[in-house]
Amino acid sequence: MDVLEVATAAMEAARRAGADYADARTGTDETESITVRNQEMAGIDRTTSTGIGIRVLVGGRWGFASTSRLDSAEIERTAALAVAIAKAAHRLPGTSVALAEVEPVVASWRGSMAVDPFTVPLEEKVALLMEASRLMQAVPGVSFAEAGMDFHRRSTWFASSDGARIDQVVVHSGGGTEATAVAEGDMQRRSYPNSFRGHVKAAGYEHIRTLGLIEEAERIGTEAVELLSAPECPSEVTTLVLDSGQMELQIHESIGHPIELDRVLGMEEAYAGSSWLTPADRGTTRWASDLVSVTADATLTGGLGTFGFDDEGVPAQATPIIVDGIFQNFLTSRETAPVVGQASNGTSRADGWSHLPLIRMTNISIEPREGTLAEIIGDTDDGIFMTTNTSWSIDDKRINFQFGCEMARRIEHGKLTTLYKDPNYTGLAPEFWGSCDAVGGREDWLVWGTPNCGKGQPSQTARVGHGASPARFRNVQVGVR
Amino acid sequence: MPEPLGADGFGGVADAALELSGVDGVEVLLMHEWGGLTRFASSEIHQSTFREDTALSVRVVAGNRVGVTVTNECTPDGARAAARSAKEMAEVVGPDPSWPGLAPPADVPEVERYFDDTAGASPEIRAQGVASLVEACAPGCSAAGAYETLAGELALANTQGQRCWSPSTQASLTTVVTGPDGGSGFAETFTGSIDAIDPEAIGRRASGKALASPSPRELEIGRYPVVLEPAAVATLVGFLGWVGFGGKAYLEGRSCFSGKRDQQVVAPAISIWDDGADPRTLGTPFDFEGVPRSRVDLIHDGVFLDAVYDRRTAKEAGIASTGHGLPAPNPEGPFPLNLMMATGDAQLDEMIEATDHGVLVTRFHYTNVVNPIESSITGMTRDGTFLIERGEIAGPVRNFRFTQSIVDALSAVSMVGRDAELASEFFFSASSVPALKIEEFHFSGVSDH
Repeated sequence: MDVLEVATAAMEAARRAGADYADARTGTDETESITVRNQEMAGIDRTTSTGIGIRVLVGGRWGFASTSRLDSAEIERTAALAVAIAKAAHRLPGTSVALAEVEPVVASWRGSMAVDPFTVPLEEKVALLMEASRLMQAVPGVSFAEAGMDFHRRSTWFASSDGARIDQVVVHSGGGTEATAVAEGDMQRRSYPNSFRGHVKAAGYEHIRTLGLIEEAERIGTEAVELLSAPECPSEVTTLVLDSGQMELQIHESIGHPIELDRVLGMEEAYAGSSWLTPADRGTTRWASDLVSVTADATLTGGLGTFGFDDEGVPAQATPIIVDGIFQNFLTSRETAPVVGQASNGTSRADGWSHLPLIRMTNISIEPREGTLAEIIGDTDDGIFMTTNTSWSIDDKRINFQFGCEMARRIEHGKLTTLYKDPNYTGLAPEFWGSCDAVGGREDWLVWGTPNCGKGQPSQTARVGHGASPARFRNVQVGVR
Repeated sequence: MPEPLGADGFGGVADAALELSGVDGVEVLLMHEWGGLTRFASSEIHQSTFREDTALSVRVVAGNRVGVTVTNECTPDGARAAARSAKEMAEVVGPDPSWPGLAPPADVPEVERYFDDTAGASPEIRAQGVASLVEACAPGCSAAGAYETLAGELALANTQGQRCWSPSTQASLTTVVTGPDGGSGFAETFTGSIDAIDPEAIGRRASGKALASPSPRELEIGRYPVVLEPAAVATLVGFLGWVGFGGKAYLEGRSCFSGKRDQQVVAPAISIWDDGADPRTLGTPFDFEGVPRSRVDLIHDGVFLDAVYDRRTAKEAGIASTGHGLPAPNPEGPFPLNLMMATGDAQLDEMIEATDHGVLVTRFHYTNVVNPIESSITGMTRDGTFLIERGEIAGPVRNFRFTQSIVDALSAVSMVGRDAELASEFFFSASSVPALKIEEFHFSGVSDH
């Protein structure tokens, strides 16, 4: 029996057990992770996880059960358990789930990739990381020089009682460096190309070869050391310019999460929270300045949120979220889309075979406008430029946020001047986005990966993407202490 | 329901990997977990799940070169394949000069952590618990939350001869109740056995806070005396574990306590330790390297004593591991998973009565580190934030953002609660902590609700 047949058999077992609707996902996740620190191996590991998740509707209530054992008796047991879980949900009165219609497809999809990272010799990967570590460590004052790579392949076989039969494979590759300088009572860090394990994309090993980990190593080390003697970012209300990498997380936390319709409907209330948006806000609420347009696009080349079909069999698609500052659409699933009178826009994804699909960001990207980062800085008379995230926090309705960055510089008359350490900024999301008066163009627009987005109970981690340009915001509180 | 593999069953799987030839050492770590979670929102059960999965982690040592492969095929064949993969990595990667070797044989204490009724809890039992919670809420309230029952086994065997196995269970019921006028309240019980969960009491507690917090008013940002309930204290203690108590950060000068051994770092009323064997925690008797967990006194009467160590950092420090290693590979170093804070002699009401003008915080939300060496963190209050005026609750206030050094906050503790609770934190494991009264706490921003 091939793997898609296993998923089909599981779905059919659930139907026999009493499910009105059933789907099953068989999946295999493979990872490889390498970390070098001060030219020594700090860790190398591979993981493989295979199993099946069975989701059912019984009388309008969900049940889900998963197992790592794929023999027929275990699948029958798991299917029956999913049905029993759904039946138990009827202990309380409630709304029956009515799924939005979707055309069932039979399809096979593969993400784009030139060089399979799992076939590249370990020696080559380790040698690259050792050299990057050596170059950072050669900078006097660098205490720790770390470099790492991470690869992930997810293979999924999906069968639904609607008739969908889908198999797909996505491959993600990422790498980065991090130099840390420690002095008495202080620690400063610089990362490249971004913090938290670097730049992760839907791509093969060819992505690693373009990152420039070796070429930028000395600069990263030098900046980490320079930060030790830099003054702290002053506390003031000023103009703030963010680079593309920090914009990634700004978009993620203050736009990506509040547009998840399950949060809006209170389904995440007790854990990560809800949203300041309501269904009535669609098409009318001003969220940002005219310069800000945001799109959710699961077809974006290189995005971690790129796929052929979501985990409900809905095709990948692009959906306008904010157009010229006005909020337009939520991220939806087959369960939630009918609330706003729509079909699902295909964002229901699970953290592998063992989890229930939830609404997750795909690739939530700000549309590029005009100008490079240098031109935005050149057009700024007075302000602060910040780069590379260190910290993030946002309230349960996604309004009050505070972000920390690795490094900042004063902008004076269009030029970068004084270096500052420990910068951070805070604001209220609609005010902040409303103060945006510059969004960079295609030249500095990059697709970043966020491979660690948490949501749901049991806790799930999603891999999502963000296309981001540098941008400028006015009247922002910086230097919170 | 699934059953534990057991020490003998695990041995049969592990031996297949330990027989790997041509290497200097092999370690097999089993993490097997199963359980159900009944999730509710708007007082309806909307997502209910059951999961079972295994991680069989095989670490192979060739000289001082180390590779790790993790599989969820928990069979002798799966273990052999993982061992071969790890050997391949160990043979080609660079040396690890700091490799401390595998753990030697050592006895681990027996702890009672596995409760059959929790391991076997059915979806019907969890649904009934949720129903009891919802029905205990005041009329017009809406409840959201999750009722989870988990069981698992942790086991380790290595070629040095260490063999250990420990089963455990967990149960938690958490809720956020929204009142008819928009106020919200939080309550939870986090425990090892389903018997300790009283759904009606949890519902009544959260619903009472929700009814007390409609139409919150905005207070000026600034520095206030605060009374923190245990859930809020768990955030401070959990993050202190992250930025302060890990042996690697301590040795490398990255901890807020680096260089401060035997110094007074917080108020004398504060003592914090880590103890996986204490029945008030959910700890295992050994760590993920097979080393028995020791009780480690981290701060005693306000004086910092030491950090926690795994085998690698212990070797560097010239001491024995305290049994705080995480699963390999672990570039982050050791971590305290079972933190406890000493109780005092005050009731929560007495702390409120002793506050002339301050804020009562039920819990914090989405906290993150601002500056690790300063132990500075930021986050929001949530689900029950109240103004205290002249020793009484004077009404709800809008949620604050705080930006605050944990060490500074614990230095300003004036009263410590009489009772400790096992309280969860969003990013970390649960800590056993009391309520605290802190004389100065920095609220740096405010939200609109």
